[in-house]
Amino acid sequence: MTLNYVVALAALLFMIGAAGVLIRKNPLIMFMAAEMMWNAAALAFIAFARNYHDVTGQVMAFLIIATAAAEVGIGLAIMVAVYHRRHRLDIDEISELKG
Amino acid sequence: MVGFAIIGVLLLIAGISVVVARQPVYSALALVGVTLGLAMIYLMLSADFLAVAQVIVYAGAIMVLFLFVVTLLTAGKEDKEPADTLAGQRWAGALFGLLVGGALAVDAVLHPAPKIAAPVVPGFGGLHAVGEALWGPAFVMLAGVALLLLTAVLGVLMLNHPEAAEKIAGHRRTTPPGVTVSPAEGEDGA
Repeated sequence: MTLNYVVALAALLFMIGAAGVLIRKNPLIMFMAAEMMWNAAALAFIAFARNYHDVTGQVMAFLIIATAAAEVGIGLAIMVAVYHRRHRLDIDEISELKG
Repeated sequence: MVGFAIIGVLLLIAGISVVVARQPVYSALALVGVTLGLAMIYLMLSADFLAVAQVIVYAGAIMVLFLFVVTLLTAGKEDKEPADTLAGQRWAGALFGLLVGGALAVDAVLHPAPKIAAPVVPGFGGLHAVGEALWGPAFVMLAGVALLLLTAVLGVLMLNHPEAAEKIAGHRRTTPPGVTVSPAEGEDGA
């Protein structure tokens, strides 16, 4: 299997995730779509690592996975905190950023 | 190549169902499918360690956290998404997003990269190869990610600590000291 098709798959997956962030209003689903975008980036890194026989790309993918874990922790904590105050799951609820 | 095509189509279907699912729990299950399919593609790309890490970290840890939060926040609810404030922006977003994705994919297919003819060295992508790279040239990044995870843990503690949250929100405790009011009920203005 050639690099082109893997990178094309990564691009499609990334854009499905980006479209999900754009069209959904449930923050949980938006967050999962963003996770898919992280995964697509990692897939592209791994495809290039395989193509050029360089393990650095895999190191980058590993760092992406670790960073995504940190992001999920923070993001879900923010969602739970907002839900405690507003009791609704709607991204428009938190559109105003006031302290 | 046939296997890759099959898994790729399954991945795209799972990805679309993450986005269009009616309930977040269906999204989470579809995202597990995306994760497992990606792990299989990692195996095909001789990234053995990453495939295992993907399954353990994503399917094992991140998705379980997601499912916890989904069940905590949306259990027994059948909320419909509120209407758009700007008519048609949802369809425009989907259309332009998919157009950009299609353009990128066509671009990737039409411009093949030079390929190294020799087979990969044995052990490429295994635990030893990735570990040597992580603890050697990429050690600064590894340490940075360790700091990042630590910061994330502190941030989560801060966010879910009621008194810290009160300080952040600028609310003042109106009840006398000694009377405890849980923050979810005590000062929810809405």
